[in-house]
Amino acid sequence: MVSLVLIILTSLFFTGIVVRTKSIASGRKGPGIFQPMKDIIRLWKKGSVYSTTTSFIFQIAPSIYIASVLMAILMIPHGNHPGIISFEGDFVMFAYVLALGKFLMIISALDTGSSFEGMGASREALYSMLVEPAFFILIGSFALFTGQTSFHGIFSSLHYGSHISYMLGGLATFVFIFIAMIENSRMPVDDPKTHLELTMVHEVMILDNSGFDLGLIMYTTHLKFAMYGAIISNFFIGVLPLEISIPLFFAVQICFAVVVGIIESFIARFRLGHNPQFIFILTSVSLLIFFGVLLVLGKFI
Amino acid sequence: MEITQITSWTAIVLIAGIAGIMVVRDKLKSITALSVVLINAVLTSIPAILALTVAPQTGSFAMPHLLSNIVVRIDSLSAWFILIINFTSINGALYGNGYMKAYSELKTNREIHWIFYVIFHISMVWVCMFENGLAFIISWELMSLSSLMLVIFEFQKKNTLKAGINYMVQMHLSVIFLTIGFIWLNIKTGSFDFSALSQLPLAKHSVWIFILLFFGFAIKAGFIPFHTWLPHAHPAAPSHVSGVMSGVIVKLGIYGIFRIIMNLRYDWLLFGEIVLSLSVLTAVYGIANAAVKRDFKGMLAFCTIENIGIIGIGIGLGLMGIGSDNQILAVLGFSGALLHTFNHSLFKSLLFFGAGSVYQQTHTRNIEHLGGLIKKMPQTAALFLVGAIAIGGLPPFNGFISEFIIYSGLFKGLSGFPGISQVVLLILTIAGLALIGGISVLTFTKTFGVIFLGNPRTRLHHEPAETPFIMLLPQYLIVAAMLSVAFFPQFYFNYASKIVASSFHLGNNPLDESPIADNLKYIGLISMVFIGIFILVFGLRWLIVRKRTAILYETWGCGYVAPVVKAQYTGRSFARQFGSLFDFIVRIRKNHKKTQKTELYPEKRTFSTYYSDILEKYVIIPLARRSTFLLNYFQFIQNGQIQSYVIYGLFFIMLIFLGTVLKIIT
Repeated sequence: MVSLVLIILTSLFFTGIVVRTKSIASGRKGPGIFQPMKDIIRLWKKGSVYSTTTSFIFQIAPSIYIASVLMAILMIPHGNHPGIISFEGDFVMFAYVLALGKFLMIISALDTGSSFEGMGASREALYSMLVEPAFFILIGSFALFTGQTSFHGIFSSLHYGSHISYMLGGLATFVFIFIAMIENSRMPVDDPKTHLELTMVHEVMILDNSGFDLGLIMYTTHLKFAMYGAIISNFFIGVLPLEISIPLFFAVQICFAVVVGIIESFIARFRLGHNPQFIFILTSVSLLIFFGVLLVLGKFI
Repeated sequence: MEITQITSWTAIVLIAGIAGIMVVRDKLKSITALSVVLINAVLTSIPAILALTVAPQTGSFAMPHLLSNIVVRIDSLSAWFILIINFTSINGALYGNGYMKAYSELKTNREIHWIFYVIFHISMVWVCMFENGLAFIISWELMSLSSLMLVIFEFQKKNTLKAGINYMVQMHLSVIFLTIGFIWLNIKTGSFDFSALSQLPLAKHSVWIFILLFFGFAIKAGFIPFHTWLPHAHPAAPSHVSGVMSGVIVKLGIYGIFRIIMNLRYDWLLFGEIVLSLSVLTAVYGIANAAVKRDFKGMLAFCTIENIGIIGIGIGLGLMGIGSDNQILAVLGFSGALLHTFNHSLFKSLLFFGAGSVYQQTHTRNIEHLGGLIKKMPQTAALFLVGAIAIGGLPPFNGFISEFIIYSGLFKGLSGFPGISQVVLLILTIAGLALIGGISVLTFTKTFGVIFLGNPRTRLHHEPAETPFIMLLPQYLIVAAMLSVAFFPQFYFNYASKIVASSFHLGNNPLDESPIADNLKYIGLISMVFIGIFILVFGLRWLIVRKRTAILYETWGCGYVAPVVKAQYTGRSFARQFGSLFDFIVRIRKNHKKTQKTELYPEKRTFSTYYSDILEKYVIIPLARRSTFLLNYFQFIQNGQIQSYVIYGLFFIMLIFLGTVLKIIT
C-alpha cells in the first residue's frame, strides 16, 4: 500500500524533473515540474481521431497497457512493507504482466496498417526481448544471494555484508537504470524528442493514438519510470523505518530522474543497429552480478 | 466394468465404427466418426478419471501362447494423458466436421480420412494403457501409421506426399529405437514391461537401454536434432489433424519419456542436466525459427518444438530434484511439465484451428499475402489472439501458470544445489526461458499482426468470411478450458503433483507443507483481479470518451494522403533485425541474379529470400545422403517384381522352419 501511494505520487512529477534537468543542462529555464502531467490532463479532456483501418484492438490496447503497469506496481514492496500483491515468485509475474501490456501495444501499432508504426513495433518487440534475460539473471542472482523468491523477501533480507555486496548493489542500480531507460524508450536507445519517424521506437508506435488514449499511454510511461525508480530505491531502503525510508525513497527517485535527465542531455542516441549490442551489455553486467554473488557465497572453490 | 473389458469394448466400437463409416452416406461419415470418437472417449475417460481420483486401474489379458500376460494399466500418469487425448481429439473431430466440408469433391479421401481418424484416436489412448512393451509398440505403430494417413490427406499434391514420407521414415526410426530397447530389456530381465526397467542391474550397459528408449521417444516429441519431421508434417496435414498431432501425438513422446524416467534408478542428476540442456537448446532453436517463418502453419510447428523444450526443462529440473533429494524441486519440475503438456495441447490446437480457418478462407499459408482479416473474421481473430497471448506464457491465461511453476522450480533450485555447475546451469536456463518468452512475444505479435491487422495485402480469390459455428465451437470450448486453468490453477496442480508423487514414489506428498498450491490459488485470484483492473480502466475510459468527439480518418502517413497497401510492414521486415541478430540459428538465403557490369538494359529479374532450418540442412540431410549411398547397394532387393517378393517370404518361412527344426530358435 505504501509503495503504491508513493509511486503514484512520484509519477506526477518524475518526468517533470527529467525535463527540467535537460532544460537546465542546455542553458534554458524550462517548464515547471508538473507541466508533463498538465499536458496529460489536457489530453484526457480532448476528443480523438481514429484511423479507419483500426479494429477493437486499437481501442482496448491502451487500457490493457496501463492496467498491466498498475498490476506490476501493486507487486513492488517498499523496503520492509510488502506490496499489495506479494507471493513467492512474484517477480516472474511482474515481468510477464509487463510483457502483456507491451504485446497489446505492439499489435495495436500493427493495427493501424502504417509502415512507420510497424517499424516501431518491430523494434520495440526486439528490444524488450533482449532486456528480459538481463532482468531475470539479475533477479535470479539476488534470489540466490538472499535465498528468497519474492520481491519483498529479497529486498527485506538484502543486507550488505562485504565489499563485494556493495558493488553488487551498485551494479544492480546501473542495470535497473538502463532497463528503465530501454523500457521507457529513452535516450541511448530511443529519442522521444526526435522528429523523424524513421528513427523513433516508441513514439512512432503511438503516432495514431490521440486524445484520451494518448494521455493514458503517456501517463503509463510516467508510472513505469516511477515503478523502476521504486525498485531502485529498494536497494537502498532495506529495513529502515518509514519516517526515514519515505524521504529516502523520494531522494532516490529525484536522483534517478536527474540522472536520466543528465544521460539524455549528454549522450547521443545510438545508431539503431548498435542498440542490440548495447542491450546485451546489460545481460553481461547481470552475469557479472551473478558471479559476484557466487563469490560472496563461496561457491567458487 | 473391468479395465480389460473396456479395452475390448473400445476395439469393438472401433471396428463397428469403421464399418459404419464405410456404410453410411457421404454426408453422415463425419458425424459417424465424431460419434465413434465420442463413445470411445467416454469409455476411456471413465477409468482415467477413476485412476486419477481413486486408484490405478489394472487388468491383464491372459495370453498363454505369448511369453507373458499383457498388462493393461491406467495409473494417474496415463490417466492425465488419456484425458488430454480425449479432449483434444473430440475438439479435432468437431472442427474437422466443419473443415472437411470444403473438400466435398474428394469423397474417397474423406472416407479414408475419417476411418483413420477414429483409429488414430483410440490407438493413442491404447499407447497410454498398455504396460507391456510389445502391445505398446503395436499401438505406437498403429498410431504412427494412422496419423501418416491423416497427414497425406491431399496425397494428390506432391509436397504433401513428400512430407508424409519424411514423417513415415522418422517415425520408423523412432520405432526401431524403441524395439531394440525393449528387446534388450527383455534379454536382461525377461520381461517386456515398462516396470521391468527398474529391475535392470546397475551396470554401465543398462544406461544404453534408457538412452535408446529416450531417443525413440525424443524423435516423437521433437527434441533437436530429431525435430525435422514437425515443420514438414504439420503444414501438410489438414488443420484439425495438425492441431491434434501437435497437441497430443508429440506429447506421447513426453509420455514415453516420463514412463522411462520414473523407472530410472540411478544417475538422476546427470540425466537431468542432459535433458535440461537439450531442452533449453530445443526451445531456443524452435522459437528462433518460428520467429522468421512466413508459413503460419510452419511457424506453429516450430513453436511446438519450443514448447516441447519448455516441457523438457520441467522434466530436467524434476530429475535434478530427485537426484539431489530435493522433493519440492522434483514436484515443481515434473508437475510444471505435466501442466504445460496439458496447456500446450489446449492453446496449440486452438491456434491450429484458427490457422486452419484462415487457410480455408484464403487458400494461402503465406502471411505476407494476408492482412486485415480481423474485420472479416472477428471471432476467429479474437480466439487466435487469446491463443497467441496464452502461448507466450503471458497472464492472465493458462500458459503463464505452467511456466510460472517451472520458473519457481528454477528459482528454488538456485539455492538448493551446493555445486557451482548446477547453479550456473539453472541461471542460464532462467535466462534462456526469459529469452524464449521475449522471442515468442515477437513471433506472435508478428503473426497475429500481419495476418489479422492492417489492410489486406493482396487481392484474394474470394472475399473471406467468418467460419461456421461448428468450427468455432471447439475453439470456444478450448478457451473455456484455458480460462479454468488460469483462474483455478490449484485444482489442476493438485492432480499433477499427486501424479508426480505417486509415479516417482515420493512418499507423502511433499507439498502438503509447501505454500505452492496456495500460491497458485492466489495467482488465479490475481488473474481475475487483473481482468477487473482492465475492466475498471476500460469502463472509465468508455464513460469519459463517449461524451467526446471521435473522428474517423485515414491512418497518419506523414502527410502522404494516398496510402499504399504494399507499404505496410511485412512479417519479413518485422523479424528482419531479429533474424540478423540470430543468424547463427536462422540462416537467410537470397535468390537473385546480380546485375552484370555490361548489362546496359537490365532484364526483368526476381528476388526472393527464405530461411532454412540449419540442423536439417547441415546435419540431417548430409547424414541421410551418406547413408543412402551405402544403402543403394541393397537396392536390388526392391526390384518391383511381386514374384521375387514372394520368394523373400518363402525364404524367411524356410529360415524359421529350419531354425526350429535345428533348435536354434526356441
